[in-house]
Amino acid sequence: MLLNIIKKIYSSNKKIPRFPEKSNKKEIEIKSQKIYTNLEQTISTFKELYSFPINNDVNFRTFDIRSLNKKAAIILIDTIADMKIVNEFVLEPLLNNSNPTGKVEELLSIQAISKVSIIQHAVDEINKGSAVLFIDSFDYALSISVSNIHNRGVTSSENEIVLKGPKEAFTEESSINLSLIRRRIKNENLVAESVPISLRTHNVLYLVYIKDLANEQLLNNIKNRVKALKVDSIQNLPLLEQHIEERKLSLFPTILYTERPDRASSYVEDGYIVILMDNSPDCLILPATFWSFFHISEDHYLRFIYGNFTRALRMLAIFITLFTSAIYVGITTFHSEMIPPDLLLAISATREKVPLPATIEVLLMELAFGLIREGGLRVPSSIGPTIGIVGALILGQAAVQANLVSPIVVIVVALGGVCSFLVPDISMNFAIRLSRYCFIIASGLFGFFGMTVFFTMGLFYMVSLKSFGVPYLSPMTPKYTSSKDTLFRRLLKNEIFRPGYLKPKDMKKN
Amino acid sequence: MKSRNLFIKILCVFIFLPTLSGCWDKKEIEKKAYVVAIGLDKGENENLVITYLIANPEFGTQQQGGSTNEPPHEIISFETNDLISSTNKANAVIAKEISYNLLKYLIVSEKLAKTKNFIRWMYDATKDKDFKRDTYLIVSKENASIFITNNSPKLETRAHRYFDFIIKRGIETATISDASLHKYLRITEADADLFLAIFGTTEKVDPPSGDDMSDNIFAGQLKVNGNTNKTQFIGSALFKEGKMIDQLTVEETRITRLLSSVDEAPDILTTLPDPFNKDFKISITITQLKNIKIKMDVNKQPTTIHVHLPLQVDVLSDHSMVNYASNADKRNELKKFLIERFNDKFNQFIKKTQEEYKSEPFGWSLHARRKFATIAEYEKFDWMKSYPGMDVQISIDIKFGHFGRQSRLPKLKDVRD
Amino acid sequence: MQESKGKIGIREFIAIIILSTGTKLSDDTPTLLFKEMASAAWMAPIIIGVITFIPIYLIIRILSAYKNKNLAEVIFHLLGKFFGFILIFILLLIIFSALVVDSAVYTNIITSMYFSKTPTIAIYALLMIVCVYGAKKGIEHIGSVAWAMTFWIKISFIISLVLTFFHGQLDFLFPILGNGQWELLKGSILKSSIFADFLYLGFIFPFVKSKLDFKKGIWISFSFIIIEFSLALAAYTLLFDYIGVRLMNFPYHETIRYIEAGFLENIETFFYPFWLVASFIRFTFYLYLTAIIFGSLFKIKKYEYLLPTLATLIIFIGLIPESPTFVIFNLREKLLHFATPFFLILPLLLWLIAKLKGDLNNEKSKPFY
Repeated sequence: MLLNIIKKIYSSNKKIPRFPEKSNKKEIEIKSQKIYTNLEQTISTFKELYSFPINNDVNFRTFDIRSLNKKAAIILIDTIADMKIVNEFVLEPLLNNSNPTGKVEELLSIQAISKVSIIQHAVDEINKGSAVLFIDSFDYALSISVSNIHNRGVTSSENEIVLKGPKEAFTEESSINLSLIRRRIKNENLVAESVPISLRTHNVLYLVYIKDLANEQLLNNIKNRVKALKVDSIQNLPLLEQHIEERKLSLFPTILYTERPDRASSYVEDGYIVILMDNSPDCLILPATFWSFFHISEDHYLRFIYGNFTRALRMLAIFITLFTSAIYVGITTFHSEMIPPDLLLAISATREKVPLPATIEVLLMELAFGLIREGGLRVPSSIGPTIGIVGALILGQAAVQANLVSPIVVIVVALGGVCSFLVPDISMNFAIRLSRYCFIIASGLFGFFGMTVFFTMGLFYMVSLKSFGVPYLSPMTPKYTSSKDTLFRRLLKNEIFRPGYLKPKDMKKN
Repeated sequence: MKSRNLFIKILCVFIFLPTLSGCWDKKEIEKKAYVVAIGLDKGENENLVITYLIANPEFGTQQQGGSTNEPPHEIISFETNDLISSTNKANAVIAKEISYNLLKYLIVSEKLAKTKNFIRWMYDATKDKDFKRDTYLIVSKENASIFITNNSPKLETRAHRYFDFIIKRGIETATISDASLHKYLRITEADADLFLAIFGTTEKVDPPSGDDMSDNIFAGQLKVNGNTNKTQFIGSALFKEGKMIDQLTVEETRITRLLSSVDEAPDILTTLPDPFNKDFKISITITQLKNIKIKMDVNKQPTTIHVHLPLQVDVLSDHSMVNYASNADKRNELKKFLIERFNDKFNQFIKKTQEEYKSEPFGWSLHARRKFATIAEYEKFDWMKSYPGMDVQISIDIKFGHFGRQSRLPKLKDVRD
Repeated sequence: MQESKGKIGIREFIAIIILSTGTKLSDDTPTLLFKEMASAAWMAPIIIGVITFIPIYLIIRILSAYKNKNLAEVIFHLLGKFFGFILIFILLLIIFSALVVDSAVYTNIITSMYFSKTPTIAIYALLMIVCVYGAKKGIEHIGSVAWAMTFWIKISFIISLVLTFFHGQLDFLFPILGNGQWELLKGSILKSSIFADFLYLGFIFPFVKSKLDFKKGIWISFSFIIIEFSLALAAYTLLFDYIGVRLMNFPYHETIRYIEAGFLENIETFFYPFWLVASFIRFTFYLYLTAIIFGSLFKIKKYEYLLPTLATLIIFIGLIPESPTFVIFNLREKLLHFATPFFLILPLLLWLIAKLKGDLNNEKSKPFY
């Protein structure tokens, strides 16, 4: 009975309801036609397509080309095209030159000119910010690239901060991003392949890889997966990430997301594939293993010992984040014989007046900490620091004074919370924080036994994960030839192999 | 996929249900009463009188939520059959569940320890999950309940701290021996050696007659004045086959520790009569340089044991103003005196063990094991039977270490001049 | 990119063996050995090692002669359908009962040493859930998990050993021969099926990357386990004396309760989770093996679907005996005695038949590892 009800509820939200939709078949038909030789007709068609007077920033300019003695028109969207260039290098030469020459292209002193012959393509060009020149009786149009989309300059990285090493971050313009990578890898084999992905908004992504390194099978795998997408619009990379990852419900991320061009290019050099996209100040790196989420670029910029010291700290922090709260719960509810007498009495004394069971108490504090953390993120930066940390402290202090929680719990939870910031990647950060809750519950149920059960199952789950065919914990297990840069890094002179799990075309780095 | 998700959901419900109920082994830490020490006395028939020393965790903590004026601990005594069922009985008085998590000290009255059935109760300790084998075994002269009640340390008011410090320090200074339940069980099971438990009392006993202010004292015989705790941990209780048979003085305890092949010998600070002036005494530190060497010949009749004991002696006081540091003859004389005296004391004690106790507390039987290939042969040899007739020889090798921080002294004559 | 074919490398292979066989030293297997051999028990693993060297060597020889066939297929090939079926059925019975008995022992350890009030079925069920989950992931992932954890498990074990040696007394190892050399030899032979796991490794032969890895892996882990086992038994004796240790049910757990490191007095917390992970991996592997043998016996291709059923069966059979500490202890001893002849004779038999069939000749030139 109950089962059926649940099943029904569950299956009902799977159906796709039918919507009353209006067909735009007519427009699609128009767009697929060739450009008309009749200029008047062309202009009126385009005016219709762009719903002319309503659409404010679309610009139609008709004029005579004296040298050809023909009528012409330029269509562009003035918010994304550079009007100055159009005036100076397109309109002026065409209007002023009276020598009858045969070709229009020779009159224009602009390099990026291409011919388009289908209306759809002309529309695409206009949408990108080009000016399209239509000339009466021509069966093609000239697209002049004058786009001027407004951009942020290259700024320093904000989410992946390093003290030593390059500071710049990707920006929203993919060509700039690409140039940032090209600046680091001056090699003709670096390919930036563009792949269109969405049906309606025509987003394009760039697969960046080194031709004679990246494994073809991997590349095809990614291309196929990207091409198989049937989505109207994918605005940026975080959205794309969710479309192309293998296990969408998995706790662990399988695609690395970074905003640092130095990091991206070092991965490209190792034979990974990087995805860039317009409107995304970041890139995706695939495939990703557990270790790529664990590392940050500074590990390698710092000297060998310092770098490994931070790695050790980070590992410790991960363990503290995962286990301290759970261990506290386990000890206070199941294994009180395991702590030294003084600590045991101290904990017992502090808990004497607390009304809640330890499990609930810790969960409550964890939740409070999580709330403060999320709240702090959205607070405007001017009042952020005040509310964030101070708020947490005051909250903890007051809660202790009110005998709502014991002071040790505040320490335990705060320690775990602070340590969670050492995990650099935001997705991995979430994964670890969420597993922390699971550990607390497991520990509240069966003490250390429950924790170990959960841990073992988690480990089984983790080793069975794959990112584009690469096992999640490789090269540790299963083993592959690599530079052995897993928990600790090696000396630079010893890191001579590209990761074997990528099956790169050239294994040895020189 | 769909059914799998459903399965997971239902599973989750079942997993989360027990969190709310809190059953089975789940017991919040503050809902237990922690017993620090147990006292055992002989009750009527084959019953025990058990005394619990229960620590108050709130004592001495400063809390933001308000601290308490409660006493540091709570003591209850009642009659029971064993060590395990008593935990529930105690709940008639104690509000919280009795827990042995902190239990590290087992105090037994001399009367109970001397009964034949004592060992039966000791094996209760191996049954309970929370009883640890490293629990210290303490024998009290009076009833354990009285011992626990009378014991009121002035500075270390938290009982587990007090016991921890005083016993560890006692073991370091060799006034008592390191006596865990584990050792008691092991020695009793091996059925060859004697076991030494810690001996303590809160009663004052008159010291032995004679001017000798030496280490020849039992617990309670040390005269202490002032406003302090009455408890004294001095000397040891001797157990044979799991039953207490006698009590050893500090000196005997120290000899045992020195001659033992099992324990590490501590540095012993002691006083001896001055060989050069009868009125004075000298203080010396005795350090065992190397492990003792035991040579044993089990094929001879009687079995011979030769024990070699290399010692370092630091002379710390020189009231007769002999100036040992600069006088080689006097040093030799002192050495001769020391060797003679030690030999005397050792032989005296060994003779006592052979004649009176018919076994030894030094763990030498372990050395005898090496001489036999199989257990059957060793058991046939029967250490306990053979020991009283054995020929034991001790050789002592003394090296002088320091003679105090400042080794030279002025000539007394010049000073008095 | 290239999808892995479910094969394990030598590291994972060794990790699996070390964890599945090596964990035996932390249950009541030592007690079985101490019972008869007393102070000489630490020599038993070495003697067993010498005895079992030949059967293990033969198994490797036979398997290497047939590429990509697991032991079941080899047995079918050599003995024919009928006898092969019977033999594998017996092997299946042995491992299944070993799984039932051992898992009951481990559940018993957990309940008696750490969770005395929790119902056995809850602990048992949880143990089996982990094992089914792990076994369903397949041998490759069992290997990976084993390898990822082996280092830490062994570190924790070595620390406990070192601490034990510090607390121990070397004299307890004497009298050196315990109850006498004949008792020692007899006991060792009777209990040599402690290492019978090595026979069962033949069933995962095709899953190991190469023949060489299989051979090397077995010999490395074999010697490791012998040394480890020996040291552990010696350590227990050093700490508790042969008389005391015979009275204990689970010496490893008594040991980790007794030892202390400096100011840390109760450090069993540090060892207990690692021991748990090791036992999870152990039973996961056993369960997987059982499913494989079951699958190859009844020609079931998708044997992973058997796992939940098998696990449920194990729980219900494992829960039957009352006062498990003793009933199961005796059962375990009987099982070991029963399995020994199979373990010692079967490889010889197979080898002889293979030799007669002439299947081994092409292997002669190969060096021995």
